[in-house]
Amino acid sequence: MEEAWSRDSASILLGMTPQNTLSERSVSRRWVLGGLSATTALVVTGCAATSASTTTSSSAASSATTSAAAAATSSSAASTTTSAAVEATAAATPSARANARTVARLARAFLATLDADQKATVLQDYSLTNAENWSNLPQGLIGGGGGPGGSTSSSGGRVGISLGDLSSAQLKKFNTLMKAATGSSAGLGWDEITMHLDADDYLGENGGGDTYGRENFYLAFLGKPRAKGTWELQFGGHHLAVANTYTDGQLVGATPSFRGIEPNGRFTWDGETMKVMRRKERAFTAMLASLTSAQQSTAQLSDVYSDLALGPGNDWQFPTTREGLRVGTLSAAQKKKVLAAIGTYVHDVADADAAVIMKRYRSEINKTYVAWSGTTALTERNDYVRIDGPSVWIEFSMQGGIVLSGNHPHSVWRDRVTDYGGTGS
Amino acid sequence: MQHSLQRLLRVATGALAALVAAAVLLLGTAGSASAHVVPSSTVELAVTDSDVVATVEIPLDDLEAATGIDLGDETQADVDANADAIEAYLLEHFTPTSDDGTEWTVTEGDLTVVSAGDSATTGVYNALETTFTLTPPAGTDAAEEEQSFDLGFDAIVEKVATHTVIVTVASDSTDDDFSGAYEVGTVKRDTVTNEVESLHIDLDSGTSSSAFLDMVQLGISHIREGTDHQLFLLTLLLPAPLLAMPASATTRARGRRWAGRVGGVTAWRRIGATTLAFTLGHSITLALGTIGVPVAERWVEAAIAISILVASAHAVRPLFPGREALVAGAFGLVHGLAFSETLRALDLSGWHLVVALLGFNIGIEVMQLVVVALVLPPLVLLSRSRAYEPLRLLAAALTGVAACGWLAARVGWANPVADGADQLGDWSLPALTALWLGALLALVVGGARRSPAAGEAARPSRSGG
Repeated sequence: MEEAWSRDSASILLGMTPQNTLSERSVSRRWVLGGLSATTALVVTGCAATSASTTTSSSAASSATTSAAAAATSSSAASTTTSAAVEATAAATPSARANARTVARLARAFLATLDADQKATVLQDYSLTNAENWSNLPQGLIGGGGGPGGSTSSSGGRVGISLGDLSSAQLKKFNTLMKAATGSSAGLGWDEITMHLDADDYLGENGGGDTYGRENFYLAFLGKPRAKGTWELQFGGHHLAVANTYTDGQLVGATPSFRGIEPNGRFTWDGETMKVMRRKERAFTAMLASLTSAQQSTAQLSDVYSDLALGPGNDWQFPTTREGLRVGTLSAAQKKKVLAAIGTYVHDVADADAAVIMKRYRSEINKTYVAWSGTTALTERNDYVRIDGPSVWIEFSMQGGIVLSGNHPHSVWRDRVTDYGGTGS
Repeated sequence: MQHSLQRLLRVATGALAALVAAAVLLLGTAGSASAHVVPSSTVELAVTDSDVVATVEIPLDDLEAATGIDLGDETQADVDANADAIEAYLLEHFTPTSDDGTEWTVTEGDLTVVSAGDSATTGVYNALETTFTLTPPAGTDAAEEEQSFDLGFDAIVEKVATHTVIVTVASDSTDDDFSGAYEVGTVKRDTVTNEVESLHIDLDSGTSSSAFLDMVQLGISHIREGTDHQLFLLTLLLPAPLLAMPASATTRARGRRWAGRVGGVTAWRRIGATTLAFTLGHSITLALGTIGVPVAERWVEAAIAISILVASAHAVRPLFPGREALVAGAFGLVHGLAFSETLRALDLSGWHLVVALLGFNIGIEVMQLVVVALVLPPLVLLSRSRAYEPLRLLAAALTGVAACGWLAARVGWANPVADGADQLGDWSLPALTALWLGALLALVVGGARRSPAAGEAARPSRSGG
């Protein structure tokens, strides 16, 4: 017996020593972070919470030594999804499970078309830091300066491969993959994403320049796409973030999902005229319009919202108090309008997954709140609408134009339970 | 013995939990990633020994949204026409107070419309610029009061829930060592509570507590990156649980060797002394290097590789038994010079330097203790087993090889050993987990067997428990 464990621990220590011994600086931090996680698991189970996910440092530190700052913001060790998130999606239907398997298979098929360098670019660690590394900004504005209100990701922007670096055969595989992972409804899901990419091309051609256009959108797999374990399909660029987290062959998180658009009005690109977020905007205005004036005034927020409260970088910061009008007090027809608005975000993910998620949101609809600020037309700057339930969180905010004149929306769908598949640390 | 080991383990576990909690706290505090493209307000403080002049810039759109005042085309004339209402609003929402709650006197300057923002991110927009003179209460030492006060600024954010006010110290004539503008914080809503987070200005600490935490974080990340520092200490501690036996008649030809093991208390005392000595050593040179003692970077890096080589040799055969602490302290001096590189790059002086040194060193210590606390307890447990000797030798040998590779690379010969080493970090999590599980298994098995573990016969009886 003694012999047995001695041998075991021998191999353990042997396995351990080399990386003590031989590691280069950038590698070693994983070592220690790995240690942090290991201890967390072994010693202080459950207390870890926001642990190893490090954060951007500001001022002195980051400006002085970029490498140190990069380290300070670098990845946490592998994280796991919470049981709550798995529970929330435990009702995954056979077709949803089948779809998750298909997505993983198509992801592998996409990988198979890549060369070694491309593969290394696409395949990234599954960590909260990588998962949280999304933005509404175009890639070119994340790394360098950023807006005055926000420090920027010191990692220099999104991870993953640019669509501009894919061959047409690879792009075909990418399209097939994304089509399977996103919804098939007209004007939502994949259809909306294709219009979105057109819109950004349009923006590039109409004053935006090289910072805009589909080659500034990035695809990454956080973790290997497999039937077992956790991985995230991360795709995003200007005004877009897709974050599908799969654990053990089912979708355990479809959020944070960001949609915004400029040009917000109708535009023509490649012979087609489109209005990218039409369905979402219409669903919101229809929802607000269905309310009586008394209900509208209950739902109206006293504060002004010039932006999303829970945009990129503001993770797991849901308000403790829900504001506005409780949907449980509404008529069946009005509830349907609220669910329809929710549906324009949920149906951005694959139909079978959307059905599972909608079932959950429907069951919670009476405890869900609707709130708005500005005007109910949702066309003016500072117009704002929010749907806040036990799980669902959707915000829509109208803002001034950046490249084009005219206002444009930002919106985010989050889930109080299953954001990042429940990964909170 | 079993008892004392278990007690030690409990103590170590408790300390470890506290350390991890501290690290979690430190790593988690400075978070502010985002991608704001909506315009923000700014408050720039110019501190003199009689008052603080705050230059405030507010996007006019947000001013309109917060006050409900219609500024039409946002021209200077539009602002002038509404000057009284705007001034009244701003004065109502700018009430700095001393720490004892006494309000300061606030006077407001002219309102000017300026152009702000940039076309790439926020777009170009019109903003209101004005100055406030903030005067500490009469009868107090103004310069003293200014070192620590509540800014009391909640204009715009009290109404526009998504707005951010960035506050900087632009100049400070009360600080002889003022070395450039720095950010003291932001005023914004906490989305969880929907309350405005008030901002306390603390000039005394140089750059506010968050800057201090930044330095702590920098120290932590420096050690996280600097495996060589950790490796030196860990390798030096590898034989800590063991007893150095003098060469006996039969083994004289082979010289001294590690045999048997010392008691848990002795082992921990050694570990503590060695770690502390290393800390003292590198703290001294960190300070010296930072304040400008010249450092030959390349030779320092090479000397660090040598220190690891020496430690690994010592782990094989006792070279300086009982004097580990002294050696740790001596080489600590070398490692400290390397640490100082980071701080020198910050180019700090005066009070800022003191704060930075303190914070950076604390960060280094925290991370170092975390690593020691992670790796040493299982090693001490495993040292009871016969397996420890081959483990120690192999660990030492591998460390030695790596140190040689490193040394070569640092004097200018890139080599595959150093390159190969770079790839091994990926195994850390499973290996460390396995190490702990192995050690805990050893504890359980050892407990169940209730018989002396390997080498216990050589244990000095006084250290038993």
